[in-house]
Formats: sequence, structure tokens, C-alpha cells
Amino acid sequence: MKKVLVLLLASFVLLTACSSKSDNGTSTSEGTNDTASKGTKALTAWAWDANFNVKALNMAKDAYAAQNPDVKIDVQENAQADIVQKLNTGLNSGTTKGLPNIVLIEDYRAQSFLQAYPDAFYDLSSVINASDFADYKIGPTSLDGKQYGVPFDSGVAGLYVRKDLLEQSGYKVEDLQDVNWDKIIEIGKAVKAKTGKALLTQDPNDLGLIRMMIQSAGSWYTKEDGSTPNLKDNAILKQALETYKKLMEADIVKVTSDWSQFVGAFNSGDVATVPTGNWITASVKAEASQSGQWAVVPFPTLPNTPSSVHASNLGGSSWYVLNIDGKEAAADFLKQTFGSNADLYQNLNKEIGAIGTLKAAASGEAYSAADEFFGGQKITADFAKWTEQIPRVNYGMHTYEIEDLLAVEVQNYLNGKALDKVLSDAQSQAETQIH
Amino acid sequence: MKTAKPGIKLMNKGRLTGWWFIAIAVIMIAAFYFYPMIQALLLSFKTGKGANLHFTGLDNYKRLFSDRTFLAAVKNTFIYLIIQVPVMIVLAMFISVLLNDSKLKFKGFFRTAIFLPCVTSLVAYSIVFKYLFGADGLVNMLLTKLHLISAPIQWITDPFWAKVTIIIAITWRWTGYNMIFYLSALQNIDNSIYEAARIDGASAVRQFFSITVPLLKPIILFTSITSTIGTLQLFDEIVNITKGGPGNATMSISQYIYNLSFKYSPDFGYAATVSYSIVIMIVILSIVQFKAAGDK
Repeated sequence: MKKVLVLLLASFVLLTACSSKSDNGTSTSEGTNDTASKGTKALTAWAWDANFNVKALNMAKDAYAAQNPDVKIDVQENAQADIVQKLNTGLNSGTTKGLPNIVLIEDYRAQSFLQAYPDAFYDLSSVINASDFADYKIGPTSLDGKQYGVPFDSGVAGLYVRKDLLEQSGYKVEDLQDVNWDKIIEIGKAVKAKTGKALLTQDPNDLGLIRMMIQSAGSWYTKEDGSTPNLKDNAILKQALETYKKLMEADIVKVTSDWSQFVGAFNSGDVATVPTGNWITASVKAEASQSGQWAVVPFPTLPNTPSSVHASNLGGSSWYVLNIDGKEAAADFLKQTFGSNADLYQNLNKEIGAIGTLKAAASGEAYSAADEFFGGQKITADFAKWTEQIPRVNYGMHTYEIEDLLAVEVQNYLNGKALDKVLSDAQSQAETQIH
Repeated sequence: MKTAKPGIKLMNKGRLTGWWFIAIAVIMIAAFYFYPMIQALLLSFKTGKGANLHFTGLDNYKRLFSDRTFLAAVKNTFIYLIIQVPVMIVLAMFISVLLNDSKLKFKGFFRTAIFLPCVTSLVAYSIVFKYLFGADGLVNMLLTKLHLISAPIQWITDPFWAKVTIIIAITWRWTGYNMIFYLSALQNIDNSIYEAARIDGASAVRQFFSITVPLLKPIILFTSITSTIGTLQLFDEIVNITKGGPGNATMSISQYIYNLSFKYSPDFGYAATVSYSIVIMIVILSIVQFKAAGDK
């Protein structure tokens, strides 16, 4: 009996010891916010993707530390889904403890945060100059004339093409410059006939291609206000869906269901083109044996759509400061790094291939370098040039909601449902969903 | 007085001690279980984005009936339920009867092998299944090599086959779990009943349907209720194997709740309403199953 008692007591002591230890742990992390106004300032920052955003943040931190040794920045890597979840639950509960000072948010989601949690983000209008950045980035990062985000990477899209496969099919890269999707589909059929390879991959759950097509013509799933669904009678979306169906029915598409299959398809040489954002460059170059066989051409336009230009966007994100203790220090950090430092962007481009949206960065030396992997093409300069031409649209707060509804209707469309009915059904569903 | 009723005082003291023992559990359960449940119920009557919530009465519940994504999710969930649960329960019962055979060798090995899927992580097995059933995955390769199919089946990206893939996956994962319940119940059935049946000349099939099944009835009820609840809460497999697609062909109610809260612009009020719709469905289904099983 005594032994049991001793054991119980011992385990009790151990337990309390453990818990007091973890108590200490949390109190120091809380301290990061409290000490912000005193001597040394400590800031936390969240981002996803260790090789891209997190690395960019670390490089910015090093650049800033050289001039401001008294500010300590703790960079934490979280998956994007985790960041979205933590921000939502944290901001919704009304307690800002455990939330970072600086956070990266995807442009498509930015408005839903800015509008759902007014006052949760710090107004950066007086800190950075919105006109220093690519115009299309300002829509998602600002609300009611106030600039909340520091625009970061460009999601400028291009068409990555395999020169060797095109040549085997009787085409040259020049034939793909400044063409529309009808021409691309025609080329895709030739590629399939001559080489047996697919033109490109598509994931039926991901309508990224349609998003790029409609943004190239300055249209979106919602109207200018960002909340009225704009599906029915949207001639541009209609044209995009018709083109999408033509593409899918031409038997030139390899169907994938996730990211790794998507990357695997072009790394193993199963597809001749990849229409996507420039952030894919690193993944394309990962297959070193294909060096010299790739080129990037401007994004094709939508057929029969005069407003469609050879530039569009897919993804991309921006930095935000939370309206908590330490916001001034966090804002200053962003101002001096991502907000104005053109040299930093040169290094970012060299190290991780990132293309920023700061206009001043485009004239730097890294941006004009030739890339041997792409046969000496100056791809960064090309992308930077296209970035400035991307039509500005308001992504609003419902991009993913509407896309999920639309994905269902697109399946129906591919199975033979009339296009007008497809769009009006999607419209009426979107109207009941969005309040 | 003091000396008059020492017994009662002792009894009261004993009762008090009892209360103290369960107090911690009661407070914890109330604080972390019942309180959030009530809050969620209140939340289900509110609407708005993120933190700007306001009461709307029953609007959210009305919205459920015109929300086609929700209805599609309910339909999918019931398809899983109607096909997968009976298949799994029959399979589990069948395997457990085979494994209960006293003449069977390597019993321990077979039991472990069939139970093993249950200890794997939901996410890990889902990802393995996704690759097994991919367009150029092992299953398609096997079927083509055996000349059973000429073109690869789109297990993940075709609306019909995606459902089949999900059903195969959850059956693989949960059959062993249910089998364990049947096995333990079978071991409680007195062998003399079977002996008597054999002496009377009953065939093995007759023994199964006239002795085993009736005696397993409480377990059949238990496993079908837990499996029903499990299917209504299906999440990990869907998210990891098909992401609910293509379109919303495989989306489950739980995944829709997640999407409403975190994938779309946050609408926690409506998400809570959808959660409560699951509660209502589970209650109704459980009552039906109790009634159908008879015994009271």
C-alpha cells in the first residue's frame, strides 16, 4: 500500500514538473508580443513552402537584421491550410494570443479575411506605396481604399513548352508565340498524332486553367464588387468553358488528380506543354535531363475575345500585418524588405526563382539573366514584362466557393448538358450560397 | 443527536466522497463537451462571415434544403451507408465465423492480419490507396496485365468509380475492427448449442442462420450503429483520396462542414447548422435501427 502511495506521489510530482515546464514555454512565447515595445523587439511570421516563401522570409530577415540588430524575427513554417485554419479560429475567438505578427495569405483568399475580420489587420497605406507594385496585385490586397497587404510573388502565367516534342510534330516555338487556344488545341492534336504524347494535364477538381483564361480577358467569377456572382451571361466565362470542353474532347489531355501526378507528368516527359504560374519553374528545372528542351511562350488568348491579352495569373500571395502589439515593428520590417528593397528581389530571384511584383525590381541584373535550361531565354525578364500586363480583377471573397459549384456543373457540361443551362444553374446555386 | 445517527453521517460522508470522485469528470465533460455543444447549437442560428455574426432564426436550417452541395453530400453519404455498411458487416461476420473454427491453424496470424488495417493511420492508408488506384497505379496495371480491362479505369477522377474506390477503402479499413466484436461474441456462445444442433443433424448453413445470427443480434445492432455513425462522419478518406471530387461526386457531409469553415470564406454559423443536421440524422437512424432490431 505504501509503495503504491509513493508511486502515486512520485508520478504526481513528475506530472506537475512537466506541466510547469510547458507553462514556462508558453509564457516565453507570449512574451514575444509583450516585449515588442521595449528594447529588443521580437516578431513572429508565418508562411508556407520551405523552399519558396519561408526561404524568402528568411532572406528578408537576414537583410533586415544587418541594419536593425535589435529586432528578432521568428520565422515559422506552417502548411497553408494550417495557417488559414489557425487564423480563422484565432481571429474568430477574439483572442490574438498565439497569432503571428506577419502572415502570408494567398491572394484568392485575402478578401475573405479582410472583410470577415475588420480591424484584425493593420492598415499599411502610410507604410508602403501601392503604386510601386504591379497593378493587378492591388485589388486583392486592399479594401475600401486602404492598403492592407504588401504584394509579394507574381503568379504571372506562361505556357511552358517542350521544343523537341513540338519539332517532332512539325512546329517551332515561334509558331506558339502570341496565338490563341484554338491554335494550341490544333497543335496538341498534331503532337498527339506524331508523338503519342498528351498536350497538357488537367485535374477535374481544379479549374485553374479556366481562372487563367478568364483573368486574361479581365473577367472573374464575381462582378467588380467581388460578391455578386457573375456566371450567367458572362460571355468570357462561356468562351472559356467552350474552349475547355474542346480541349478535353480532343483527347489530348492527361487527367491527373493531384500535385505530384501533375509534376510527374511533365518531369517524365508525358506532356508537351504546361500552362501555369511562373512558380512552377523550379519544378520544371528539377528534371535536369530535359535542360535546353524547354521554352516559355506568352499565355494564349481566348478565341473570339478581343479583351483577352497574352498575360494572366495563377496563385500568388502577399504579406499582412496583424493588428496586435508589435505591428509598427512588423510594418517597418515589411517596408524595408518586401516593400521597397529591389536588391532583395534580385537575390530572391537568383536563389529561389521568385518573381516579385515590385516594379523597381524588374530592372535589376538578375531579371535580365539568360537561363540555359530554357535554351538561353531570359524567362524572368519575360515574366516580369507579362506581369505588368495582367488585367486587374477583384477576386472577391468567394473564389473557392464558386469554383466548387462550377466544377460540378463543368462535369455536367462535359457530359452533354447545354452550356447556357450549366451557367444559369451555377449562377442560381451561387446566389443561394453567397449571402 | 451527535451520537444518535452515526451511521447516516458516515453514509453521507461516503456519498460525498463519491461525488468528489466523479466531480472532476463531470465538470470536465460539462465544460469541454456540453458547453461547446450548446454554444454550437446557438451558433447554428447565426449567420455572417468570420466574426461578424448575427441571429437569423431558422434561416440556416431552411437554407439546408435548397443547398445543392449539401444535398449532394447527404446523397453521397447515404450511398456509402446503404452499400458499404451491409457489405462490411456481412463480411466481418463471415470472416469471424471462419476464424472461430476450432480446427483452423495459424488462427492468431489470420486474426492479426485482418485486424491490422485498423491500426494504420487514416491519412496514411488513404494516400496509399490513392496511389494504388491512380490512373497508372498498381490496380489498373494488374487488371490490364490480366486482360480484364483494355483501358485503365479512372478510379479517382470518374464520378462512379471514385465512389467505388472510397467504398473499397473504408471496407478494407474497418472490416477487421468489426470482426473483433463478432469474434468475441462468438466465443461467448456455448458450444453445447452447436453440439446439440449437430446431433439433431443441422447443416453448417442451418446452424449459422438459426443459431449464430440470432445470438449475434445485439452485436449486429451495435456494429451497424457504430458503422452508421462512422460513415456519417466520414472525412479523412474523402479528403485524401478524392478531395470530394470529381465535382462533388464523393463529397461527404463532414468535408462540406470543413469547406464551409476553412476553404470558403468562413461561415461558422452555417457550418454549425450542417453539423447539427448530422446529429439529427444519427438520432433518427439509431432509433430506426433499434426498432428494426426488435428486442427493446
